[in-house]
Amino acid sequence: MRQLFIIQLLVLASLSINAQDLSGRDIMQKVKDRPDGDTRYSELVMKLINKRGRTRERKMKSYSMDIGKDKRTIMFFEYPGDVKGTGFLTWDYDKVDKDDDKWLYLPAMKKTRRISGSSAKKDYFMGSDFTYDDMGSRSVDEDTHKLLKEEILDGKKCWVIESKPKNSDEIYSKKISWIRQDCLMFVRVKYYDKMNKLHRELNISDIKKVDGFWTKGSLVMKNVQKKHSTKMFIKNPKFNVDIDKSLFSISNLEMGEF
Amino acid sequence: MKIQRINDWFEKQAKWIIRFRWLIILLFTGLLVFSFNGLKKITIESSFDEYFLEDDPILVKSDEFKEIFGNDYFVAVLTECDNTFSHKSLKLIKELSQELLDSISYSDKITSLTNIEFLRGTQEGMQIEQIVPEEIPTDKTKLEEIRKKAYSKPNIAKRLVSKDGRLSWILLKLRTFPEDSIWKKDKKALAPDFLTGKQASKIISKAKYKDINPKATGMPYLSFKKQSFYSKEAKKVMLMAFFFSLFVLIFATKSFRGVVVPLVTSISSIVIIYGMLGYAGYKIDSAMMSIPILLSMAISIAYNIHLFSYFKRHFHKSGKRKEAVIESVAEMGWPILFSALTTVGALLTFLVIPVKPLQFMGFATSSCVLITFLIVIFLMPSVLSIGGDRKSEQKVDKKEGLKEKRDRWLDRQLSTLGRFVLRNPKSIIVTSIIIAVFMIAGALRVESAFDIEKTMGRQIQYIDDILDISESELGSLYSYDVMIEFPKNGDAKNPENLLKLEEYSKYAESLELTKRTTSILDIVKDLNKTLNENSEKYYTIPKDKNQVAQMLLLYENSGGTESEYWMDYDYKRLRLMVELNYFNSGEAKEELANMQSEAKKIFPNAQVTVVGNLPQFTSMMDYVVRGQVASFGIALIVIMLLLMLVFGSFKVGLVGIIPNIAPSIVVGGIMGWLDIPLDMMTATIMPMILGLAVDDTIHFINHGKLEFSRKGNYRDSILKTFKTVGVALVLSTVVIASNFLMYTTSLANQFINLGILAVAGMLSALLADLFITPILFKWCKIFGKEQN
Repeated sequence: MRQLFIIQLLVLASLSINAQDLSGRDIMQKVKDRPDGDTRYSELVMKLINKRGRTRERKMKSYSMDIGKDKRTIMFFEYPGDVKGTGFLTWDYDKVDKDDDKWLYLPAMKKTRRISGSSAKKDYFMGSDFTYDDMGSRSVDEDTHKLLKEEILDGKKCWVIESKPKNSDEIYSKKISWIRQDCLMFVRVKYYDKMNKLHRELNISDIKKVDGFWTKGSLVMKNVQKKHSTKMFIKNPKFNVDIDKSLFSISNLEMGEF
Repeated sequence: MKIQRINDWFEKQAKWIIRFRWLIILLFTGLLVFSFNGLKKITIESSFDEYFLEDDPILVKSDEFKEIFGNDYFVAVLTECDNTFSHKSLKLIKELSQELLDSISYSDKITSLTNIEFLRGTQEGMQIEQIVPEEIPTDKTKLEEIRKKAYSKPNIAKRLVSKDGRLSWILLKLRTFPEDSIWKKDKKALAPDFLTGKQASKIISKAKYKDINPKATGMPYLSFKKQSFYSKEAKKVMLMAFFFSLFVLIFATKSFRGVVVPLVTSISSIVIIYGMLGYAGYKIDSAMMSIPILLSMAISIAYNIHLFSYFKRHFHKSGKRKEAVIESVAEMGWPILFSALTTVGALLTFLVIPVKPLQFMGFATSSCVLITFLIVIFLMPSVLSIGGDRKSEQKVDKKEGLKEKRDRWLDRQLSTLGRFVLRNPKSIIVTSIIIAVFMIAGALRVESAFDIEKTMGRQIQYIDDILDISESELGSLYSYDVMIEFPKNGDAKNPENLLKLEEYSKYAESLELTKRTTSILDIVKDLNKTLNENSEKYYTIPKDKNQVAQMLLLYENSGGTESEYWMDYDYKRLRLMVELNYFNSGEAKEELANMQSEAKKIFPNAQVTVVGNLPQFTSMMDYVVRGQVASFGIALIVIMLLLMLVFGSFKVGLVGIIPNIAPSIVVGGIMGWLDIPLDMMTATIMPMILGLAVDDTIHFINHGKLEFSRKGNYRDSILKTFKTVGVALVLSTVVIASNFLMYTTSLANQFINLGILAVAGMLSALLADLFITPILFKWCKIFGKEQN
């Protein structure tokens, strides 16, 4: 028992030494590099809630794959019925100056449409309170990061990091993130608008290990100014699933599911 | 009621007042200081929403609408220059759009040439882009490309830029304004709509935007401008009325105390009432706030003249100050109290109208009258009693002699008039009937209108600008929204219902007043066209339900947010906004009714509600028209009952009310013949004039009765009444009318109309009292049979 306690102390001490050495950017890079498999599968349930408490629910299946530093994702809507089969393909590029490619397949029209536009990354994903950036496609060097402090949140030791965008065109002026030191996962992010007022707040919970990889089960993003919120639940996550690069293509998008 | 007994009671009170005069003066000063502090707490406001009572159905409906679709108020700016598609103009429009979005506290979304969701279909997909690129080009070919792009979608172009390229439209949608209880937490905070208007006004008046000549519109901007205008205008009118009253008082009293006391009375009654309203957290409409002030100025002077002239006459005669004070209160206390009560009775009838500024009028004016009465009856005697006695009348100076001479001249003229009236009763009555018929014919033509052009007038700069905007190709001021609620969630995106909406929009567009309509159809059709290689033949509603749903998903996913203004979260409700070319009250009411009945035909299963400023205007008109009829009717009955009760005779009540209907007929007739609309301001005139005019009748009947009891003969007592109260009647009418006359110097039509009508009303009331009342006295034998 005593031995275990000493080991724990040592681990904590080493972490704090680490923290002193690490810069905000280093931590962010570590988070980005956290192993999450080369391919993944999950089922998403998204609940959009407006200020009147009305909800819109959407269910999707999602596959993604890392190709070098880039990432490709393909998603299919399962629910509601009138959008079932609608497919969404994204090619995220790590390069800051390269816009992501996005295609949407509308089964009712049997047509795939490419969506482009310089502002697309700042747009909200599927009418939710998450931007494409929040969904994980933002590159580390698009912001300057500063480690503010360490803090215990829900019994877990976290780094608190302030990130300010380098490009003044972003929708936020800064964000403050709480990152769990034990698993390198975000647990809370606060986004501030250009007037430096809190705009949105993200809380992540149900963090657990699946197939040896850390996963998050529930994400709640609240736009405190619009009083609109989005609850996202990630179900049945699988890692290193057997899929091929060629599946992330327009022809596969149009085939429906695979 | 025995007048002598009442007078005895007042005499007792006068003695009591003199005994405690210092205490009264001290208490009064204390009350004044306390009320003065309350003045700081007054909230002045100009928002149109505030006209309605909180539980008014129209407000409940529009609140429900706002909760679902957001704020229906907006700020819009019309820019004008030779060529909108020049580097300079586009740059300024972009900067202005950005500044409106960044600097207006409640801004939500901006739509302008430089900020618009522009979907462009390409061979392989869909491009979301701006019409004007981030970096505004300087070379002609690129600017020409921008111009072509703007006009490539006629449905977008017709809202944003005029055909000749001179005008452009910037629309700022606003976040829903917070509840009063929230923004009021910060004591210095301005009302959200007022703040929005103020910020917009500040931005557009910046010198750097001069070249695009921006003019703003929208209800928040209108509220702000209205308040700024009225605060200046009311000050101007009140200052003029103040100096004019000063002049009249100097002329009428020729005494320092006679000038100062009425002014102190009126100023303090205003301070006390407004201070108390401040403590009570009452909101005062900027356009209406000057009316109680002018009214109390007028009656303070009138009441004081009655009391002061009586005092002066007795003081000069006896030389004994306190005795003269007691005598004045004993004789004048009752007629003043009674006329105050009838005025209060008439003014309180405004409370039956469910419109806040009119209820405020009723409450504030009647309280002012009561406070003025109390000050006149308590403070004036206290002040007058201070000082020593004088030598009696025998040694009047030269000046006084002159005044006496003038008064005698007026007395003589009135006696002559009295004799004339008694000599020609039939011709007077016939002439009166002819005038009455002519005026009634005019009154039947009166139109109620809440039309800023008629009620305010183009001579006011901001009104002219706003009207220019709404008459231009792009702008509008009046609009209404139709909310269509289907039975089930998801019904709103059903193509069948969208096609019905299209039919309904076409119907709305076929109406005379409609300028344009906006709904989700614009987005759905534009999406369909964009997704089909920009082919014009796809500018339609898709027939497949899933296709609409998927297109909307694509739209949302592309960052489209505009749809949430037109279709609710549950896809259960649709919104159709109808903007109007111009406003005509009768036509608007008919078109709204037609829209409702057409909705029932097209959407038999849906619930259709019409909200917005136009239905608010039309229902306000109904309230005011019905309210005025009710208020006037009640005032007539109240006054008649009071007359009957006080004079103990049914006949007196009836005869007393006839000359008081005269001013209302004249006011109505003038309104009809001069095309003055019935609005918030003119609606206040009839009951107000009734309350004021009845004072003259009371004085006339009161003295007539007294003289009849002495002389037992109608002819002699009428002639004596003409002589004794005639001068006071003429003087008090002149004072009140001259106060109202000051309104005619205003720029605003509604003030001018109020001035003209109130003066006409007061003069016709005086004429009716001098010409008709004596004849009715004699014909109806209201005090009983003659004794000799």
